[in-house]
Amino acid sequence: MSDFWLIVVLAGLLTYLTRIGGHLLIKAIGTLPPRLEAALDAVPAAVLTTIFAPVIVSGDWPERIAIVVCGFLALRLPLIATVAIGAGLVALMRAAF
Amino acid sequence: MSGAHESDSDTKSAVRDVVPIILAIIPFGMVYGTVAASAQLSLVETIGFSASVYAGASQLAALQLVGIGAPVWSVLVTVFALNFRHVLYSASIGRHLDGFPRPIKALAFFLLVDPTFAAAEARAAKGALTVPYYLVYALLLYVCWLAASALGFVFGSLIEDTSVYGIDFVLPAYFLAMVMTFRSRAAFWPVASASAGASIILYTLVGPPWHVTLGALAGITVAACLPQRTGKSAAAHPADDPAGGGVL
Repeated sequence: MSDFWLIVVLAGLLTYLTRIGGHLLIKAIGTLPPRLEAALDAVPAAVLTTIFAPVIVSGDWPERIAIVVCGFLALRLPLIATVAIGAGLVALMRAAF
Repeated sequence: MSGAHESDSDTKSAVRDVVPIILAIIPFGMVYGTVAASAQLSLVETIGFSASVYAGASQLAALQLVGIGAPVWSVLVTVFALNFRHVLYSASIGRHLDGFPRPIKALAFFLLVDPTFAAAEARAAKGALTVPYYLVYALLLYVCWLAASALGFVFGSLIEDTSVYGIDFVLPAYFLAMVMTFRSRAAFWPVASASAGASIILYTLVGPPWHVTLGALAGITVAACLPQRTGKSAAAHPADDPAGGGVL
């Protein structure tokens, strides 16, 4: 777990860089080009999607079914409710199968 | 005299504005703490990570990657990519922080998370964004994030077998729900589909951690290549993502 402290320190520094970086960048170049801005805007959705999507192939049936159900729930419910129902659903299906 | 009076009312407004946000982020801090406990982190590591990174989604993503044995560099790339949105916040809010003393300005950027950005922009639009307002709002939120992480850890370490309660499924469900909060953004569906497709194929053919790094790159490339919306800027404004703006 000593690797973890390396992650704590370096991830903290990199995150600080993103928090002060935009300000420094604007001071240096004026404005962001539109394509760069569109690419930056897409980053959170692009990264987060890659983290959960492989559940379809790595998970078993309870996880596969639950992730699809969560996709629909997320259209209607607050984030925390989707998470709670999703976890509960997986727990139930694991107990049932 | 009037200066002291103004900073007093700034402090009060900051507290009034931040309390609902604190109530909203406590469950997320607790989710992080619980997952950290089930990932065998110590309490100090759990709080230390919250204190240094202070960005929930990237903290959870890092735990997920550490859990599947991904190398340190790929964890760092993912955290950096997830937090890259702050570049946009920083570029925007920096214009309103010019009156702050240098060390305070440096601290202000450290504390710049989605809700703080939204509140500071709103405050600046209404008049002047002052040091007391910014610091009271941002520091209260920061302290509560650490407290919620610790609380979640205590809670999580009481649970022996987390898979019985589906706690290992919290992460995928969390990331899916979080992605959906971005669905009103420009090019959301093409970006998400490209990332989903690429990550599933890469996961099967190449394996972790490449499905994250290259899969995300597929979505970002789609966003940059699509015809750009004219007029209104596509820049990230948490106010446009109601749910996304409420979490860190």
